[in-house]
Amino acid sequence: MNGLREHLGQSLRLHFRNRMALLYGYLFPLIFLVAFWVLYRHEKIPLIRHMGELLTVSVLGGACFGLPTTLVSERERGVWRRYRLTPLPTWAFVVSTALARYVIILSAGALQLGLALSLGMPLPSHPLDLWVAFTVVSFAFIGLGLVLAMMADNVPAVQALGQCIFLPMLIIGGVAVQLASLPTWAQHVSAFFPGRYAVEALQACVSGGGLGSIGFCLLALALIGVAGCSAGAKLFRWDAAQRFAASSGKLWLVPVLGAWLAVGLLAEVRDRIAVSIDGATVAAPVPVMPAPAPLPPWMKITAKDVAALDFRVPSDGGVVSPFAGPEEEASDYTKDEVEAVRQGLLTWRPGLEGDDVQRVRNLVCVAAVPDSIQQPVERYLPPVVLNHLQEVYPKDKLIKILTWIVLHPEDGNVIDSIADLGVQGTAGDPAVVRERSYLYSLKFILRITGRIDR
Amino acid sequence: METKVRVTGLRKRYGANEALRGVDFTLQAGEIFGLLGPNGAGKTTTLECVLGLREPDAGSVEICGLDARRFPREVKRKLGVALQATALQDKITPREALDLFGAFYSEREPTLRLLERFDLVAKADAAFETLSGGQRQRLALALAFVHRPEVVILDEPSTGLDPQARHELHEEIRRMKRDGYTVLLSTHQLDEAAALCDRVAIIDQGRIVAIGTPHELVSTAAGGQTVRFTASQLIDPAALTRLPGLRALRCEGLSGYFETDEAAPVVTALLVLLAAQGATLWELEVKRSSLEDVFLKLTRPENKSANLPV
Repeated sequence: MNGLREHLGQSLRLHFRNRMALLYGYLFPLIFLVAFWVLYRHEKIPLIRHMGELLTVSVLGGACFGLPTTLVSERERGVWRRYRLTPLPTWAFVVSTALARYVIILSAGALQLGLALSLGMPLPSHPLDLWVAFTVVSFAFIGLGLVLAMMADNVPAVQALGQCIFLPMLIIGGVAVQLASLPTWAQHVSAFFPGRYAVEALQACVSGGGLGSIGFCLLALALIGVAGCSAGAKLFRWDAAQRFAASSGKLWLVPVLGAWLAVGLLAEVRDRIAVSIDGATVAAPVPVMPAPAPLPPWMKITAKDVAALDFRVPSDGGVVSPFAGPEEEASDYTKDEVEAVRQGLLTWRPGLEGDDVQRVRNLVCVAAVPDSIQQPVERYLPPVVLNHLQEVYPKDKLIKILTWIVLHPEDGNVIDSIADLGVQGTAGDPAVVRERSYLYSLKFILRITGRIDR
Repeated sequence: METKVRVTGLRKRYGANEALRGVDFTLQAGEIFGLLGPNGAGKTTTLECVLGLREPDAGSVEICGLDARRFPREVKRKLGVALQATALQDKITPREALDLFGAFYSEREPTLRLLERFDLVAKADAAFETLSGGQRQRLALALAFVHRPEVVILDEPSTGLDPQARHELHEEIRRMKRDGYTVLLSTHQLDEAAALCDRVAIIDQGRIVAIGTPHELVSTAAGGQTVRFTASQLIDPAALTRLPGLRALRCEGLSGYFETDEAAPVVTALLVLLAAQGATLWELEVKRSSLEDVFLKLTRPENKSANLPV
């Protein structure tokens, strides 16, 4: 244990002395995050919706490039050959190497998360679950990194092999390109890649239902991790003179590939190919022509998805998203405005046009816009909007649509003025309207589902 | 005397190339044993098999009475090793390297003591990449002694060292001898082997072709002393062959060359012969044979019929 601990500590010390490792391991993920943030016009909400992807890219880079590059370069120098002359067993070196890499990846992920929070991203809904999921994701990819290190005869080979894993995972594996926007075949292929499960697991802990909703993902990642780490230990090569092509034990690649295959097949059998975005499930298009019109995605929302929402919302009596109680009466001045809105909603065009989600989104904006510009009437309109919605939509349908809006706050359009309903003023920043719409949608769900009784 | 290393019938084949063809030798406690051979002779493969870096096809290695295949971890605790090219990470310091390697063993020397012994105190916190060749070699030796080994194995330790560093290394190896360590030294530097080793094994084409003390090898394989002379007139070779104790006679014109175990009586007899034939001696060179002569004689294809103490 002493040797393992010392090797772990020394590996970390050497990592932090390596400028290039710091650049690739820490700075690049941060640059990636800032670039993403800038691309999305500095909005806070997209950041939290994509943290799963951003963190997965960081883990992938650290585990599938950083780990094998370090291992192979040390092997080429003869460091591992020298280690082999010591009595410390192979497993201890493998464990300390994997642990050191985990610490490096974890610190890079924490830094990335910290920067996202400082840019205004809301706190993850399940921080402890996020750590657990991050650990399982790291385990899966570190196993993969170990196998790459044992397959690569030199550092350039690490880059080549790493790209063979990295690029497909980014493009068709659900890591950089959202699965919903991929063709059916790619969605099926992605089920065989760990990247998809990594994104899903991390995202569920950042903005979804936490560990309870990602059992399959964790199982898939753990299986891939166990296969990778076991094969990495069995294939371990100490000497640069030992070439992978000439080494025995290549059959250990079979369980590694077998784990990927098993996970993919299990997903197919359990009908898990359907695309999941932020906990909402969208059926993958069925490649049969002529295809029936696909169901609106919000219809796939389940009670489990609703229960998994993060219901931490500001107080009804506060400045942000205020909500008048049933006993509160508007003043004379605002009473007229409230009444005008109540009547106006019946014929208000944005509440009648477009698909169901856009209509409800527009109606939620009737509560969100006055809040964003702090009109005196702001606290009295949310109950009016909620009553209107409950009159127009069946309860179950309304819950699903509102849940969809919560899970996709940046989708569709938002209204920046309800002057046509008699309330003056224009919300300058659509991001604020989206944020308030998100909060009011949650407050509406809380009331409709009886979680609070006001 | 206790046998510390016993290598028996070691064989190793790489495809069609038979690198080791049955290598046998033993090391007694406290001796410095040199493994000498030209490039590709099999000394690196032999050492790798002894160290457990390579699995032999046949044969056995025993270290301090332990079978190296059955008890690899116990054997590694007995061995201190300095490889030919001990490379560590660029940014590691000697102090950290000694702490790290020391942690791999249950019993270890204090780092500071090793730094002092191998004259590395001034460079204790310098990055490995900034160390000179001699300092790196001293660090490699310090790493070999980090756990108080019983047998020390040095693989071509003086390769790439400048004369000063080489001198310091030789002093250190002599100190190992004084401290009672058993040392297996692989080298292709004949003067090094002659100066340091109690016994030497010459390996060629995967076989031990000679083994013994440097003196034994020189006197047995290379003929002890060589004599070259030039006379004032041609000498009858038949008369020369009758001189006592003379071997390997070659005559070219007025010059002659021969080997002998003891030059003095032969030279005396040669002077008598020259005087009897009316000739005078113009030049005379008497030289003791060196290990290099033995080595060249045994490893040159045309010289492999010597009577050897294997």
